[in-house]
Amino acid sequence: MITKFQVAYKNLLRKKVRSLLTLIGIALSAWVLVSLLGFNHGYETALNKDIDNMGFQMMIMAKGCPYEAATMMLKGGTGLRYMKQSILETIEKEPEVEKTTPILMQAVFDPNKGESGGIAAYLGVEPKSFSEMKTFFKFRQGGWFTDGNAYEAVMGYEAAELEQREIGDMILMPEKNIQFEVVGILDRTGTQDDGTIFVPLKTLQKIFNRTDELTIVGIKVRKDADSNRLEQKLYTLPDVQVVSLAQVKQTIMRLISTAKVMVLSIAVIAILIAMVGVINTILMSVHERFQEIGILKTIGAMPWDIFKLIWIETLILCATGGILGIILALILSKVTDMVIRSVLPYSPSGGLVLIDLKLVLFTLAAILCIGLLSGLYPAWKAGRIRPLEAIRGEVGR
Amino acid sequence: MKSRSLFSRKVLKKGMFCCGTAFLFFVIVLTAYGAAWGAVGCDLNDPDRDVARLFPESTGYKTIYTSVVQKGGEELLTKIESRLGDKFRGIYETIDVPYTIYEILNNKKKIGYIHGVNQKGQFGGIQVFLSLDLEGKIMAFYIQKMTSKYAWKLRDAKFGRQFIGLTLKDFERYDVISGKASGKVEAIKNPAPEAESDFRAALRATKKNLILMDEFVYSPQPTSSSSGASQK
Repeated sequence: MITKFQVAYKNLLRKKVRSLLTLIGIALSAWVLVSLLGFNHGYETALNKDIDNMGFQMMIMAKGCPYEAATMMLKGGTGLRYMKQSILETIEKEPEVEKTTPILMQAVFDPNKGESGGIAAYLGVEPKSFSEMKTFFKFRQGGWFTDGNAYEAVMGYEAAELEQREIGDMILMPEKNIQFEVVGILDRTGTQDDGTIFVPLKTLQKIFNRTDELTIVGIKVRKDADSNRLEQKLYTLPDVQVVSLAQVKQTIMRLISTAKVMVLSIAVIAILIAMVGVINTILMSVHERFQEIGILKTIGAMPWDIFKLIWIETLILCATGGILGIILALILSKVTDMVIRSVLPYSPSGGLVLIDLKLVLFTLAAILCIGLLSGLYPAWKAGRIRPLEAIRGEVGR
Repeated sequence: MKSRSLFSRKVLKKGMFCCGTAFLFFVIVLTAYGAAWGAVGCDLNDPDRDVARLFPESTGYKTIYTSVVQKGGEELLTKIESRLGDKFRGIYETIDVPYTIYEILNNKKKIGYIHGVNQKGQFGGIQVFLSLDLEGKIMAFYIQKMTSKYAWKLRDAKFGRQFIGLTLKDFERYDVISGKASGKVEAIKNPAPEAESDFRAALRATKKNLILMDEFVYSPQPTSSSSGASQK
């Protein structure tokens, strides 16, 4: 015996082009919806990973506007602000602080990079405290410095790749003309550390006459500690500013929310268009089969049977379109990722579009619900057809 | 007065936070500066400007990406190493290094190529670019990047001019290991005797560049695993 599903399926096949176009409309809406929700989920995950990979949740730096410092440095000056290393002791006294790491950042101008020169940046770090923060660091070759005063360097993977360095090779600090021996090359981390050259903190302080001065103190907060309270306390320290990475994350998320709202609006419009498309297709189908539905009723079909038949057609269209859209989103997720990256001012490393099973099921359910809602009116209209009038072909024409 | 100072503190705190956030971005951008360059291949920093400078007759260019692994795999690598007279060394001179070839156009007519290679120098990577005509003759020599006290001498246009007119044939007898040269290559003067190893690195890079161009463009020999280059 032929089932209602088979009848509905055959009905859709009667007007192949129309059914196909409706299907494409639904598939495109599903694609946009999955990609958008995947972006929503993926961006936050990637941002969290990037922030976690920084190793510390809070940073202290000298007061002053870094925009000005950045401009001066890019023009070849040394505009970074410094603070006294003694601040470390004060910070470490706070009960919320688990670990700290002092960092000195220095940049020099290298006139032999390209036509107009470029900046070479060095991070002065203490291997013990720094590696405790960056527990994900793995060495591809060698290891950390042998001595805190050594003229040795550890290179991020991409820095080493660009400079074609291996352990035992030398690097030259432009401007200062000081040589360092490469003692370690890190494995790729997918973070900014890949492009960084690390040297011992004391050595860098000596080279730049910045003994007992720092640019950043990285702070790892105890797991159960109140980071807001710590932040408030650190604000009271003279001549320093506090950057909480949780706040940075919130700021980035706020910046990105505008883009999200825009894309969400596009998704809503796409879904509305698809919904209208579904209503139109099913309504047209009901209209064309007016007499046929009348005959079905005369041979015993109840209004609920007709309603179900039409509703099943909607269900088939939405389920197929939804599944196609999800497959499309999965296949094109890399392309979507690339497009989003080219548009956004700041994108964290890692996949920006994260589509998991939960998201797939949610989207499919949403598309089905919206589709079934769209099918309500045509199905109700079909269920209300009066058999005799339909056979005579008078009503609704 | 109290509310005013509270307001000022709030504004100050907000301002400081904005500055801090900007600083964090600055740190990320600056430390990631290397990462931005960090492609294994060797591209012109500013192709539009550099192509016009290295090939003044050009009106446009097309970028072609290829690699030894794409063009012929191990078989081709062995052949290139044999022609170079040296093994591809280190962890960065590998079979899958992507090469960027700039096909130079004058209106729609192809008039030459620009191609660069990475080479290990004494204190860092060296990037050597050659402008070549359709017969493989060097039209311009350009060291895009070099780290050395004497880099300015080797990057000087006067040094580069010594390479103009040379071809792969001139470099065939240059021994990249001993640095022994003959003919036109022998005549190339090292402007920085203190940086002899970087001078030799520049010559090795030039020979490698010319061999790669010969294998990729001028006289590609079909190998069992060869395939086409991708175009942009």
